[in-house]
Amino acid sequence: MELYLPIAELSVNWAMILLIGAAVGFLSGMFGVGGGFLMTPLLVFSGIPPGIAVATQASHITAASLSGALTQFRRRAVDLKMGMLLLGGGIAGSVLGVYIFRLLQELGQIELVVSASYVVLLGSIGGLMLNESIRTIRTARSGDTPPPAKAHQHSWIHGLPLKMRFRRSKLYISVIPPVILGMLVGVLTAVMGVGGGFIMIPAMIYLLRMPTNIVVGTSQFQILFVTAAATVLHAASDQTVDIVLAFLLVVGGVVGVQLGVRVGSQLRGEYLRAGLAVLVVIVALRLLIGLVRTPEDIYSIVAGTP
Amino acid sequence: MRSRFWLLLTGLLLLASPARSDDLVSGLSTDLIQITSNFTGADIVLFGAIEPSEDSGPARDQDLVIVIRGPDLEMTVRRKERILGVWVNRDQIEFTGLPGYYFLASTRPIDDIAPATTLERFRLGTAYLEATAKVKIDPDEANAFRAAAIRDRKRQRLYWESPTGIEFLSRTLFRARIPVPASVPPGEYRAEVYLFQGGTVASAQSSPLFIDKTGFERQVYNYAYQRSLAYGFASVLMAIGLGWFGSLVFRQR
Repeated sequence: MELYLPIAELSVNWAMILLIGAAVGFLSGMFGVGGGFLMTPLLVFSGIPPGIAVATQASHITAASLSGALTQFRRRAVDLKMGMLLLGGGIAGSVLGVYIFRLLQELGQIELVVSASYVVLLGSIGGLMLNESIRTIRTARSGDTPPPAKAHQHSWIHGLPLKMRFRRSKLYISVIPPVILGMLVGVLTAVMGVGGGFIMIPAMIYLLRMPTNIVVGTSQFQILFVTAAATVLHAASDQTVDIVLAFLLVVGGVVGVQLGVRVGSQLRGEYLRAGLAVLVVIVALRLLIGLVRTPEDIYSIVAGTP
Repeated sequence: MRSRFWLLLTGLLLLASPARSDDLVSGLSTDLIQITSNFTGADIVLFGAIEPSEDSGPARDQDLVIVIRGPDLEMTVRRKERILGVWVNRDQIEFTGLPGYYFLASTRPIDDIAPATTLERFRLGTAYLEATAKVKIDPDEANAFRAAAIRDRKRQRLYWESPTGIEFLSRTLFRARIPVPASVPPGEYRAEVYLFQGGTVASAQSSPLFIDKTGFERQVYNYAYQRSLAYGFASVLMAIGLGWFGSLVFRQR
């Protein structure tokens, strides 16, 4: 059951890694998220060094988002023009992110920054989601109709220069916000090992005001390529991609995703969202405890060849 | 490297100088440990014999110490401090000279075998391992960080001291079992056997041991470090291939 990982230089129980890949894949298929936010903590808990966990699991997200992106593409639910802009920003962002990652690693602050960013991002997003889905479930139970959405509004976004027409999204907006959004998510992908869908999707809906049916496909398209780019960049710049570990995660993930999609399609949306929100909050709390609890040994050691 | 040369030379001189000294022969059960995909660590055995020289008479007050030492690594030790309730890495020291693996077995606790100066000279025991800080710092601080590094290596079973680890099979024949964990750093190791007589080194012997990745593991590692970009693309292609294959298989059902 033990398998030696040539880059991580330690041996792991391969069945457990397959299971982690499958479990995260299952959840990501069920909830329609990348699952990177679960994968990094799970791998670190099972003894994989954080640097290797972050860089390697990007390929799990690549594989998981591929089938989603293909399906959405067939349904013509991808705005390619928007996707390309986001992607351009995303690749620039992951170059920057890999650089930041290496800098933080040298300073010894990578774990702190990754954990703290997770706590802040997951805590706030999970809290918001939980709040919203509880309200939706309550409204659905009491039989009231939900309050109507706010009418289309013009915001500061529409005052920016370099406007471009996006036919599929039915938008005429500046290219600056998508590029910056893509970049921000690219940085997160490289530093935290997440796809960034949990930021991308709300931003596309509320900030860019893209139609909801296009949002998921376009985000998956972008995630597919940005995680691929992050994998290549990590491999080239800090040799933290362990292909044996990646293989196990991907194999588990591919099976898990398909099962998750099947189960997810039979559950009601608001319960799914509430479930996801609870999960996100639990992960955030677990990481928060790790940050504030007194460690067993306040010293930590990193060894390497001189 | 240089200091180790002098160390060996002193060992040899000591070996030659006393009038009546016993001879030492030893060997390892293997001189090459190969890290393959199912590597979960290894157990090697060092065995040997003390051959009494003709005029030495009955052996008395003799002790043996066995040391296996791995390649030196650079170790960065960081100390956390609580800032606003959160534990944050603050001070850090980079050490050179600490081995990646250190195993010591002896017939008695080493502090009973020889005086500290001797133990320090031969670097016998984790307490006497030399760590050089890259930048000059307060010696008390350096000691605290050095002790933390050694504590951590012991927790990972990469440093190991076994004061009763040498087993005598007869009056002259001995052996020691050396556990090597899976996280052992690959490289060139040395196995050293010291025979102590009345607190001084009477005889010493040293033999090499190699730990290396082989086959697939070696190839993957080389590929990742020498052709990093191609390796990155290969990882992505693997993920895309498997993802695509998976969605094909499941769609047909």
